[in-house]
Amino acid sequence: MIKAPKGGKVVVKLTVNGIARDVESSPLTSLLHILREEVGLTSPKAGCQQGGCGACTVLVDGEPRRSCVLAVGGIDGSAVTTVEGLAPDGLLSPIQAAFYERYASQCGFCTPGFVVAGHALLARNPEPSREEILGALAGHMCRCTGYVKIVDAVEAAARGEVGEERVFPESRPEEPEVLVPGSPA
Amino acid sequence: MKAVGARLPRYDGLGHVTGRTAYVDDVRVAGMLWTKALRSPHHFAAVRSVDTRKAEELAGVHAAVTHADVPKNLYGHLEALGVPADEPLLADGEVRYKGQPIAAVAAEDEATALAALDLIEVEYEEREPFFDVRKAFDPDAPRIHPWGPVYPHFGPHDHRRIRKGDVAAAFDRADLVVQGVYRPTAIEHCPVEPQTGLAVPEVHGRLTIYSCTQAMYFSMGVVAAHLEWPLNKLKFVGGTVGGGFGGKVDTATETICALLAIKSQRPVKWRWTREEEFLASSTRAPWHMEIADAVTSDGWIIGRRMLTLHDAGAYTRFSSYGLTKHSFHHTGAYTIPNLDFNGYVVYTNRVPTTAMRGFGVTSISFATEMQMNRIAKVLDLDPWEVRLKNANRVGDTSANWVALSDPSTVPVVQAAAKRVGVELKPEFRLMTKDRRSGDLLPDHLVEQLVSTDGGES
Amino acid sequence: MTTMAHEAEVLVPLSREEAIEAFGDGREVTVFAGGTILMPEIALGRLRPRRALLLAHAGLGDIRRSGGTFSIGAAVSVARIAEEAPEPLAALARHVGDYEIRGQATIGGNLCAPAGPSSPRGDLQAALLALGARVHSAGAGGERVDPVDDFLAAGGEGRLVLEVVVEEPVRASAQALARPHTHAYTALAVACAETAAGLRIAVAGAGPRARRCPSVEQAVANGASAADAAARVLDDVELQDDALASGWYRGKMLPLLVDRALASLSAGGDR
Repeated sequence: MIKAPKGGKVVVKLTVNGIARDVESSPLTSLLHILREEVGLTSPKAGCQQGGCGACTVLVDGEPRRSCVLAVGGIDGSAVTTVEGLAPDGLLSPIQAAFYERYASQCGFCTPGFVVAGHALLARNPEPSREEILGALAGHMCRCTGYVKIVDAVEAAARGEVGEERVFPESRPEEPEVLVPGSPA
Repeated sequence: MKAVGARLPRYDGLGHVTGRTAYVDDVRVAGMLWTKALRSPHHFAAVRSVDTRKAEELAGVHAAVTHADVPKNLYGHLEALGVPADEPLLADGEVRYKGQPIAAVAAEDEATALAALDLIEVEYEEREPFFDVRKAFDPDAPRIHPWGPVYPHFGPHDHRRIRKGDVAAAFDRADLVVQGVYRPTAIEHCPVEPQTGLAVPEVHGRLTIYSCTQAMYFSMGVVAAHLEWPLNKLKFVGGTVGGGFGGKVDTATETICALLAIKSQRPVKWRWTREEEFLASSTRAPWHMEIADAVTSDGWIIGRRMLTLHDAGAYTRFSSYGLTKHSFHHTGAYTIPNLDFNGYVVYTNRVPTTAMRGFGVTSISFATEMQMNRIAKVLDLDPWEVRLKNANRVGDTSANWVALSDPSTVPVVQAAAKRVGVELKPEFRLMTKDRRSGDLLPDHLVEQLVSTDGGES
Repeated sequence: MTTMAHEAEVLVPLSREEAIEAFGDGREVTVFAGGTILMPEIALGRLRPRRALLLAHAGLGDIRRSGGTFSIGAAVSVARIAEEAPEPLAALARHVGDYEIRGQATIGGNLCAPAGPSSPRGDLQAALLALGARVHSAGAGGERVDPVDDFLAAGGEGRLVLEVVVEEPVRASAQALARPHTHAYTALAVACAETAAGLRIAVAGAGPRARRCPSVEQAVANGASAADAAARVLDDVELQDDALASGWYRGKMLPLLVDRALASLSAGGDR
């Protein structure tokens, strides 16, 4: 029996993006809070904190889960993967490259959740039908794109129709000069 | 200009797909406190007293603010345009919508902030709320705004008026009058990123405010106005907004964060919950539109009488501006020469309404298009042809006499017909947006044309 | 003065026995299985448990099958129910949330779900009623087995659900209103099952908890047509307005759902 007394903390062992971490927390704290505030990974977002929008989705032992409603005490020993862990050597995963190339993102707030869910879908079903993609992503909310380009991007990733994009691209001479590279945020 | 015509990736695309794009909630500042606001549980009530002392004594709470802490509590979003102030930042003496903020606390964590709210003592005296804009002019309608049932500052009038041509004559001449009432309801912007603000006290008394606003300079002005600070004491950091759609122009978090940051001398963040978004964030307004069109049996709309009641909710915000835009567009994409439009901004105990995608105009687009279908049905005419006939053309003027130099109604309607496989008769397929002449220039459209000698923009 | 609003003592039992011991008589204990219903309430400050029991590691996550008898642990995910449980349980499980929520939500949580602040919850209860499930629970007075009808009628207070046992039915069917989005709970669901004990019909979304439809069962037993039997369902329910649907709408749709479920049953049931 693991016990945390009133207001107390326990040590929860997690592997986050391949790095083993001992997290001190109340077992009742959400994984979302732990990732954002303790581990410092801000890609999963607090869109609703009700498990309803999918912006907080991360992989727990390879399965996509709503981190905002997941009490961290229940996943002691688990491996957690966020978007930051999908391109560890700087090369975008196919799903990330597809989203980038096919404009499946506008404001970007829902994108980490969609990317993680899409990544997990392709891991368990490498050739999904459009119906299956819609089913897998049904719980994710996007208010900007109208979803079509998102589904197109997942299809493209499944077919391998993506380029080799790096997280920090080298500039190529034939590209138009961009006056203000990088995100202004 | 090497970028024109090139297919460029979004400059923020890599940030989005790698989780690197930073939104306000992702900014990390040491010592940050979390905010929660006490919101009115009543649609309409007097607030006899607010006491935050017990909340302030709770361990972990660093500051609480009420209206008494706001140097200039009453503000109007359009004050810079001469519209008087009518909205308190924090409620003072009364609350006029469910969810209206009364007090706010900053604490070490969200749980403590929530516990602090329970310790704030408020005495309410509930009043009968008012929600039906159609009853605004009833003598026994409750008065919820000191200015009266409607916004009174459209010049000398309490409504926006458009008068053009001779609408009485048009209705006399008409073969038929076609009427419709259109009532689109409120819509939530519901961006996936909730309203979030972070205020950081700097040395020398300045504040850095990380804001999700869509309108950074505007919000900076709002905060400066409430604090009665010069603009150069503020540094606003904007950036990527996680969806706004018009709802993030209301400066919803910044000022309260600023006040708490000043009081606590700690960085203060306020991240709304999804419940707060649905309860208290501004919406697109509900509209009530009554249209009566004087039409000829061959499908000309020769006159329009229209009444619009715009539900502003409890405070004015941008509603007068939205209604004015709406009035300018009240003939839709069509040329109607004789007009009598009256539009009212009506106060109700709903959450205040604001801009959303096509502010003021989406309502009239919807109503006009439904009305065009209705006219076609009543006259037993083809709805595509009725549209093409009455479509804006070069040299026509809008409801408010703006000369139209390049209206796209005709090519768009034709393209839409083609897209859905509707075969237009040759006469209509060959129509253009060129200046009216011949059959397309009946007598009743002559006067509204802009003059050909140098009249076009 | 306290510093934390929800100063819960949190217990994470690592076995069935530890879970029973930690639960005790259940007084002031809040049980967390998947967390999909309770965690949002905590985030909003509406639920501040004194003692929280997290069941994720308590060994209650197995489905044991012996012939046609399924013993389903309380912490079995709704996703596994959708794949492995008999109808009509599997059908209603497929109708819960989305892939991610189903992977996290549990049958125990669904069985014990009270009505929400603005919508019904616990639509698997209808399937469990239709199947005549038996609920194994622990609490004051020790372990015991209750028919799910009694368990639901008592409200589940003071009981820790350990397993739910169901028999594979001869035939079963389920019908539910389409949801506007996966984050919405099901406004109305109907489950029918024919077991050795006879025909049982239950509805979720027409009252704070799911309930049997004895008037419909009686009508069918008396030889009424599906449509006539279905019409009797309004005698068995109290319809309410909520955020998902009005009582009026439910009143219009419920007989239709029952009719379809009965018709499907006659045609051999859902597979």
